[in-house]
Amino acid sequence: MIHFDNVTKVYANQQRPALQHVNVAIEKGEFLFLVGPSGSGKSTFLRLILKEERPSQGHVHVAGKDLSRLSNWKVPHLRRRIGCVFQDFRLLPNKNVFENVAFALEVIGKPRRFIGKVVPEVIDLVGLEGKAHRMPDELSGGEQQRVAIARAFVNRPMILLADEPTGNIDPATSIGIMKVLDRINRTGTTVVMATHDAAIVDAFRKRVVELEDGRVVRDQSRGVYGQAY
Amino acid sequence: MRVQFVLQEIWIGLRRNLTMTISLVITVAIAMALFGTGLLIKMQVDESKGYWYDKIEVSVFLCAKTSSNPNCQKQEVTDQQRQALKAQLEKLPQVADVQYENKQQAYARFKERFAGSKGLVDTTREGDIPDSFRIKLKDPEQYKAVDQAMRVQPGVDNVVNEQEILKKFFKILGGLQFAALLIAAIQVIAAVLLVGNTVRLSAFNRRRETGIMRLVGASNTYIQMPFILEGAIAGLIGGLFASVLLVFSKIFLIDNLAGDVELVNSLGVSHLALVITVSICFGVLLCAFASFLTLRRYLRI
Repeated sequence: MIHFDNVTKVYANQQRPALQHVNVAIEKGEFLFLVGPSGSGKSTFLRLILKEERPSQGHVHVAGKDLSRLSNWKVPHLRRRIGCVFQDFRLLPNKNVFENVAFALEVIGKPRRFIGKVVPEVIDLVGLEGKAHRMPDELSGGEQQRVAIARAFVNRPMILLADEPTGNIDPATSIGIMKVLDRINRTGTTVVMATHDAAIVDAFRKRVVELEDGRVVRDQSRGVYGQAY
Repeated sequence: MRVQFVLQEIWIGLRRNLTMTISLVITVAIAMALFGTGLLIKMQVDESKGYWYDKIEVSVFLCAKTSSNPNCQKQEVTDQQRQALKAQLEKLPQVADVQYENKQQAYARFKERFAGSKGLVDTTREGDIPDSFRIKLKDPEQYKAVDQAMRVQPGVDNVVNEQEILKKFFKILGGLQFAALLIAAIQVIAAVLLVGNTVRLSAFNRRRETGIMRLVGASNTYIQMPFILEGAIAGLIGGLFASVLLVFSKIFLIDNLAGDVELVNSLGVSHLALVITVSICFGVLLCAFASFLTLRRYLRI
């Protein structure tokens, strides 16, 4: 589903590469934790999958397509098949839960009837039954992140990218968020989650890829957060 | 869904920076009104030129006893001189047609033309206007050659080119046209910069929305369309105000001027409608294009 083929990324005006000779293959339906300290290249890894950045060397393949050969006007279609969740939720404060989730479908031109059917289903899936008409500032952090996940998943993407989704949430609530991500993963969606939440990684025992200074230093199925364990 | 959604986005955008939108509308309105006025003046000049140049004549006035020109030596022109002059005029390559007009005919024409000004007609007697040859030129611009050739001939008192009188008027109109277009051009620059600023503010205000749109895979046109339409709508409103201003400038400037100089054919409603259409289209396209250019800089896709 996602293949990093000897990928190196050097940002302009920076000496040190953000990623160096990264080779990672992620299969369809996998759940993968991307761990490592800040600045180790986790976000760059995710941005390369979205073609928000392009590699300085090597190739990134998503769903069998070489992203370097994907023309710019096709990038939106790539992104429609990838959902994204962030640490800071990125909800629209002037829209309620339903509208926030519906926004993702409206802007890709889905018909109103389809939106009216699909959005409530997804809101239920992430565990926000009965809260469709709440505004984001009336929700807890955990609930806001559920809205963000609903928005990322509403178009049934093949891949869900999560950049520290539990970074702003207390540990107890994080478990709930992880359960939602796990539920999404069970529908066959590939999930890539960047995190430095050791407790979660240890509890879930999924594949772990560890980055350090832009290099893959560990790739372990059913791994834990730190090597010391 | 799409249409409603885009319209909603535009409305939010325009309302959020209302003051910018208002200043943009005013600037566009003034720019387009001046641009349109320039066009109207140009049309008026072209129309009148065609009309008048068709009628313009060069008059060669012949000597009379009262002539003050030393060339005449206080002598009435002789028949012989008259014949010679007519023959010479007909030989000139620039001349299309020569007509002789004696004092009686000239007086009759004068009375007819100035029938409205009774005082003028009353104080002019038959014989005050000398005999003349009235000449039509093939090309009205080539009167100089005729003037030079005829002025020195014996029996010629004076050569008068009616074009000279009209030229002054056209010069005034030309100056007005230039001034209007110059100010319009400056206003257009201001409008483009204002559109740029408005769109930039708008893009900044909506960076959350556009960020999410990008992320969930909205197409570039879909992301840019509200901004471009925002500019276009401001341009359209400006254009509509401009059309009101244009109606005023037609009535109070062009028609007044035309009335002063007895321009027989003033511009019709169809001319005005054409100018208004052109101005509105120009305003809309200008704003939409300026938005598009700014977006390329401030909205990363």
